[in-house]
Amino acid sequence: MPDYVLEVQNLDKIYGEGETAFSALKNLSFTVKRGEFILIVGSSGSGKSTLLNMIGLLDKPTRGTVIIDGVNTSVLNDNQLSSFRNSKLGFIFQFSNLLSDLTVLENVVLPRKIQGTMSGAMEEGKNLLKTVGLEDQMNKFANKISGGQAQRVAITRALINKPAIVLADEPTGNLDSVSAETTIQLLKSLNRKLHQTFIVVTHDRPQFGDVDKVITIKDGRIVEGELEVA
Amino acid sequence: MDYRAQIGIRFITRRKGSLIAASLAVAIAILVVQVNSVIFQGLYDAIVRDQINYRFGHVYITRQEDYITKSDFVLVNWLERIPYVQAAAPRLDSVAQINSTVNGQLIKDYQVPIIGVDPVLDKEASTIFTTVGQGEFVSFRNSIVLGALVARDLGNPQIGDTVKLKFKDRYGNDVLKRFTIVGITQTAGSVGLDNSAIINIDTLRDVIERPHESGAILVRLNDPSKAEDVKQLFLSAFPSNSDKFKAQTIEESAETTLRGFRSGIALINLVGYFGMMSSAFAVVTIQMMQVTSKTREIGIMRAIGSKRKDILLVFIFQGMVIGAIGAGLGTVLGIGYTVYAKETHMTFQGSLPLEVHYNWASIIQTDIMAFVLAVIASIYPAYKATKLEPVEAMRYA
Repeated sequence: MPDYVLEVQNLDKIYGEGETAFSALKNLSFTVKRGEFILIVGSSGSGKSTLLNMIGLLDKPTRGTVIIDGVNTSVLNDNQLSSFRNSKLGFIFQFSNLLSDLTVLENVVLPRKIQGTMSGAMEEGKNLLKTVGLEDQMNKFANKISGGQAQRVAITRALINKPAIVLADEPTGNLDSVSAETTIQLLKSLNRKLHQTFIVVTHDRPQFGDVDKVITIKDGRIVEGELEVA
Repeated sequence: MDYRAQIGIRFITRRKGSLIAASLAVAIAILVVQVNSVIFQGLYDAIVRDQINYRFGHVYITRQEDYITKSDFVLVNWLERIPYVQAAAPRLDSVAQINSTVNGQLIKDYQVPIIGVDPVLDKEASTIFTTVGQGEFVSFRNSIVLGALVARDLGNPQIGDTVKLKFKDRYGNDVLKRFTIVGITQTAGSVGLDNSAIINIDTLRDVIERPHESGAILVRLNDPSKAEDVKQLFLSAFPSNSDKFKAQTIEESAETTLRGFRSGIALINLVGYFGMMSSAFAVVTIQMMQVTSKTREIGIMRAIGSKRKDILLVFIFQGMVIGAIGAGLGTVLGIGYTVYAKETHMTFQGSLPLEVHYNWASIIQTDIMAFVLAVIASIYPAYKATKLEPVEAMRYA
């Protein structure tokens, strides 16, 4: 098993061409160890969400390499990237991003259905929902639960395939303070309990308290001297 | 259930407006084709039915260039020994100048077709006798049944009145003969003998100097599907090189009447299928709206591992749901209309009653075509959905 679950090497992302070209990420390099809880912080437009999209293989870098669990993802084709995202990555987005036409439990087990490994998935999904206190909501449609509950469902969905990394983009950005605090505590407890790697993008650094590492992005670069280790 | 099918079905069934609109488009297209088929195929079949019943029978035997000289008694007896043959009857056609005096006023001469029938045998081989609305069918030698159009042109003479007919015999001599009107025949749509007059065949034979001759033999079958067999049996028993007989099935004998109508049906069917194409465009539009409204969900699915082909299949399954519901609904409506048309013996403004059949092959063919079109119509929207990049799709609000 490789030492690092994530290696980002010389990552550039340029949008547009010629005079309209805009460099969103500039020569970023860093590593993440297995089981770490990482925060990516920065002001609006700093490039933190762009970085998360590159790590999440949702967008392609202009230059540089993203190595996840020892696999150089730049050599993967579209289908391989889809399968890789399914098995190695879990996603939690700002707006819960559940499928409103599926029930809570169906949303949770969807990555397993996509993977085609449904054996025992329903039980696992129910157990995960019990862990986040939503066992009584599992048969409701996703648009019939609150924002805080939906975010907890998204967390269980991100975990169902036991991914190498869970990526969260402003997971508390759309929640009230109580739900936000609950969500943060849930993420941190899962990190400790499951030894699950989390990379969380946020603009509200203090909300998360102690974490393993903080990567501060400014104008597309990691700010020198602000790679904070707790 | 396959997750792509599950999501496809949920996407469309939980958007009831879209589902109803798309399914109705498909159903209405099927209904249009079914209604066209019931009306125009029904009309065609009704014409064939009446041509069989009134004019030609299932098999129509004539002589190639002349009258049939062989005894009709011999021919009818030979034909009626074939198990598929229900009855056979001779007919003899001619023309005559006709006039009548109504209320002391002479109605001017004009020429009408004259049909000579055997009063007994014709009732077995043809149903023209059932079209006699007033009076009775021809019986005695000097009786005449007028077609409704002839009676109208003669100033509506009454039963028991007489008409005078002027024939030309086989040598070109004029022969005058008076007949007593015993009946008026009228058929819906005037497809029977409404423009003719019917007299006893023996009288006609005498008048035109063609004793024992016939113009044609009508053969009615108890199993119409055996028409070709009966025709071949007859021709082999009476080879054309000796008797010069000509035997035709109804499709052949009524070809002139039916040819133009068949082209019309083909054209009407084409209109129906164009209607079906329109429904496909409606499905494309609704599916495009579905893709737009589900852009964010597509992004989520791509993010958590769905491949492009999985997204394609989600929307293809949607198309299958629309096609299946639309085809089902269209079939129910179409069959409902067919049942109504059949049970009510549907007619249009006093025209002939439609001959309605449950054409299952056509129904199934139309359903399959509508279903396939709904699926094909979903391919382009589905393809557009696969082109969405996850990161762009998830930004869509």
